[in-house]
Amino acid sequence: MQSIFIIIPAYNEEKSIVAVLRGIQAANSAYRIVVVDDCSTDNTATRAQSAGVIVLRHAVNRGQGAALKTGTAYAIKQNANIVVHFDADGQFVAGEIADVIAPLIADATDIVFGSRFLGKDSNMPFLKRKLFLPLARLIHKFFKIKMTDPQSGLRAFRAAVFEKIAWQQDRMAHCSEIIFNAFQNKLRVREVPITVIYREFGQRFSGGLKIIKDIFFHSFIK
Amino acid sequence: MYIQQIIALLVIVFFITRLFRQRYDKNVNRQEFGFWLVFWVCAALAIIVLPYIDAWLSRLGFSSSGIQFLLYLAVAALFYFIFRLRLHVARLEKDLTTIIRELALWKQKE
Repeated sequence: MQSIFIIIPAYNEEKSIVAVLRGIQAANSAYRIVVVDDCSTDNTATRAQSAGVIVLRHAVNRGQGAALKTGTAYAIKQNANIVVHFDADGQFVAGEIADVIAPLIADATDIVFGSRFLGKDSNMPFLKRKLFLPLARLIHKFFKIKMTDPQSGLRAFRAAVFEKIAWQQDRMAHCSEIIFNAFQNKLRVREVPITVIYREFGQRFSGGLKIIKDIFFHSFIK
Repeated sequence: MYIQQIIALLVIVFFITRLFRQRYDKNVNRQEFGFWLVFWVCAALAIIVLPYIDAWLSRLGFSSSGIQFLLYLAVAALFYFIFRLRLHVARLEKDLTTIIRELALWKQKE
């Protein structure tokens, strides 16, 4: 029996967090869920605690990438076999976690990324679908990375490869960094189709520019 | 020496005396003091050799004056310092994240 940890970074998600947690618990009660509250100003942490999951709290807001790393570090310490990254805003479907981890359980791959472009229907905003993500894909091609979805937040990996993909980016640039590290370390990478339910636009063009800026400055520090 | 050069040198001397005062009051460390002293001495030297920079620039065929050249250099230096500052902030942010993470994990252990 594999020990599977679901890491959920959360910042001011009191409206959606309980439904997300209930969804995951209903999908598989054996999943161990860790919510990392990134210094929310609302009741995210207490609501998550009421759902009976592990809650870690950042005393200062450090960003999604930092929260994911905190949760992952905790999971590794708890002898996790597989770590899944999942969003707190309800845009992912809990039932699809099983699809994402299936290749890992079968030991067919080291890391799995959920893709919004492999057939499943997502109500993705037009600009995101036709401009932002193709642009991000183009940047990835420059680094010889072939991915249909360059910015997916639903991913899973074997705990054993954590050191190889360990990301340094605290904010949204962690997404690109994890993909880059996986390819650079020649890990077995796979994409599986997922559904994404958009309630808001999500990352904007300015967010993309910030990612490039973060990666640029970080490349100069150890 | 032109009157403008003398005024500029007086301003630099004022800043150097302020710098020594700050060092005397232990408001700046030795490294910082050294950096700013070198900076102001270089600025004073640049002001003193300004006519030579003018002549050198015209020999190279540039129409701009020495003071403009110094301004360009100053802007380039400013950009460099801003870049260094950004790197420093990035390092501090990274350290802060490490502390916050350790704190979160330690509190969970309790």
